[in-house]
Amino acid sequence: MPYPVWRRVAWCFHLLFAAAVTWPGQALVNAPAPFVLGLPRQMAWVAAWIVGSLLVMWRLDAARGREGVRNPDVVGGASATARRGTDVG
Amino acid sequence: MSDSFGLISVVIFGYLAATLAVGLAAGRRASKSVQGYVAGDRDFGLLVMYFITGASVFSAFAFLGGPGWAYSRGAAAFYILSYGALGMAPWYALGPKAAALGRRFGFVTQAQLLTGRFPSRGLSALMAVLTLAAFVPYVTIQIRGAGIVIEAVTDGRIPLWAGGALAYGVVMLYVLASGVSAVGWTNTFQGVFMLAIAWTLGLYLPYKLYGGTGPMFEQILAARPELLALPGLDSAGEPWSWGAYSTSILASAIGFTMLPHLFMKAFTARDDRTIRRTVVLFPTFQLFLIPVFLIGFAGVLFPQAPDQPDFVLPFLILRTDLPALVVGLFCAGALSASMSTGDALLHAGASVVVEDGVQPFRKLSDKARRVLMRVLVVAVGGVAYGFALNENSSLVELLLASYGIVCQFMPSMLAAMYWRRATTAGVASGLIAGSATAVFFFLNPGLKPLGLHEGVLGLLVHVPVLLAVSRLGKPQDQAHVESFVRV
Repeated sequence: MPYPVWRRVAWCFHLLFAAAVTWPGQALVNAPAPFVLGLPRQMAWVAAWIVGSLLVMWRLDAARGREGVRNPDVVGGASATARRGTDVG
Repeated sequence: MSDSFGLISVVIFGYLAATLAVGLAAGRRASKSVQGYVAGDRDFGLLVMYFITGASVFSAFAFLGGPGWAYSRGAAAFYILSYGALGMAPWYALGPKAAALGRRFGFVTQAQLLTGRFPSRGLSALMAVLTLAAFVPYVTIQIRGAGIVIEAVTDGRIPLWAGGALAYGVVMLYVLASGVSAVGWTNTFQGVFMLAIAWTLGLYLPYKLYGGTGPMFEQILAARPELLALPGLDSAGEPWSWGAYSTSILASAIGFTMLPHLFMKAFTARDDRTIRRTVVLFPTFQLFLIPVFLIGFAGVLFPQAPDQPDFVLPFLILRTDLPALVVGLFCAGALSASMSTGDALLHAGASVVVEDGVQPFRKLSDKARRVLMRVLVVAVGGVAYGFALNENSSLVELLLASYGIVCQFMPSMLAAMYWRRATTAGVASGLIAGSATAVFFFLNPGLKPLGLHEGVLGLLVHVPVLLAVSRLGKPQDQAHVESFVRV
C-alpha cells in the first residue's frame, strides 16, 4: 500500500485502539478467562493492541522509506529541514 | 542480614558510581553553550532517543506504583499499560514538525515554540509555572521511589530520606555537569539494566510462588475475582468507575504526548528519521510493563502484606529467599527506573524556568543562563525532595495529578502548529481556564461528574474557550502564521 494509505490506516488503527481499551470497547472484553499465554484476557487484549501499534507504525515507516517521502508536513518547500537538506526520512 | 546488607550496599554503590561515571563522561562531547546543555547540540541518535523516551514510561511510578496498583487495585492497573502507545503515536507527525521549527527558530523548549507563534511574555511565564507545577509531583514520585527501595532492601538501615538524598545527589551531580547529554547516556545505561531486572523478576516471582503466571491468575480468580474484573478497584477498595478508568487513559495519553521533558527531546534528535524510528519502536518499551504488573499480582495471595501497596515489590523480593546479589541488582534496577526519569525532569524543569520564566523578562548571557539552570536543578530537586519526605499520596495518584495539568498543553500546541485562526488571547485564555478547571476538580474530587479525570474535564472547558476567544479576536499576521503552520 502507498504511504498516504498507510497514514490513514495508522490514524484509524489508533482511534480504534483508543476505543478498544476504554469504555465501551474494553467492557466487551472484560472476562479474565480464558487466559491467553497465562495472562488475563483483558491484559492480553491491551497487549495485542500495543503489538498492533508496533506493526502498523513499522509498516507506515517502511512505506515512507520505500517511497522516499521527503516530508509530507512540508508544504511548498518552505521548511528549514528541506532547505538544509537534512534527513527527513 | 549483616552479610546481605554488605553485599547489597556494594551493588547499590557500584551501580551509583557507574551511573555517575557514564553521566560525567557523556558531557565531555557536548558544547558549553545553552544549546549543548539543553538540547545536546541536536545530536542524539536512535539508541539514546529510544531509551530516553522509554525512561519516561519506565519510571519509579511504573516500577513501584504499577505493582502497587496491580496488588491493591487489580485490573485498574491495566490503564497504565494502555496509554503509552496511544500517547506516542501522534509524535510520528508532531515530533519532526516541532524539530523543524526548533531548527528554524532556535527553540529548545516547548514554551518557546508556543510563544514563538503566540508572542506573550505572560504566556511564557504561565507555561513555565504550569510545567513546574506538573514536574514537582513527578520528581517527588521518583525521589520517593528511590528512597522506598533503598529503605526496604537495607531493612531500614538506610532510611527513605537518606536513600532519596543519595540517589538524587548522584543525579544532580551528573545533570549539573553534563546537562541533557548525561540524561541521554545514563538513560541508555539504566534502560538496559531495568528491563533485564523487570523481565527476570516478573517471570521468576509468579513461578516461584505459584508455579507460573497461569496458575497465579487462576488462584487469584478463585480467591479475589474482583481484582480481575475491569475497571478494577479504587483506592478505598470499592469498584472503580468506567468513567474514571477510561478518562485516566485518555488524559494520560494526551498528557504523555505533551510531557515537556519528552517534547523537548524533539529538539535533541539528530534528524527527523531518528524521531520517527523512536516512535515506531516505542511500543516495545510499553510491553516491558507487563512483567512489572505480574510482580504486583504475585503479592495478592502472599500470606503477609506490605505497609503500603507501593512497597509490594521490595516486600516480595525480600521474602522469597533471593540471593543478596539479586536483591542488590533489583535495587539497582528500581533506582534506574527512578533516576532515569528524575534526571530528565530536573534538567527540563530547570531549563524551562530559565528559558521561559526568566529569559523573556530579563535577557541573560549564555553563560549566565547555564549557571542559573544549574542553580535551579538544585532548587527544583530540593523542593521535590521536601515533598518526597512528607507526601502521603500513592505514587500513581501523584502522577495522575501532574498529567491533569500537562494535558492542557495539547490544544495550545496543536493550535500553534496547525490552526491558522488561533490567537494569543485565545491560547492564553484556554490554558488558564483549562488548568484552573483541572486543579479545581483535583482539589474537589467529589464534584467530578461520572468520576471523569480532571485533565479531561479541563479540556472540556479549555477547547471551547480557545475556539471562542480566538474567533472573536483579530487574526495573526498571515506570514507569521504560515512560518509555523506550513512547516
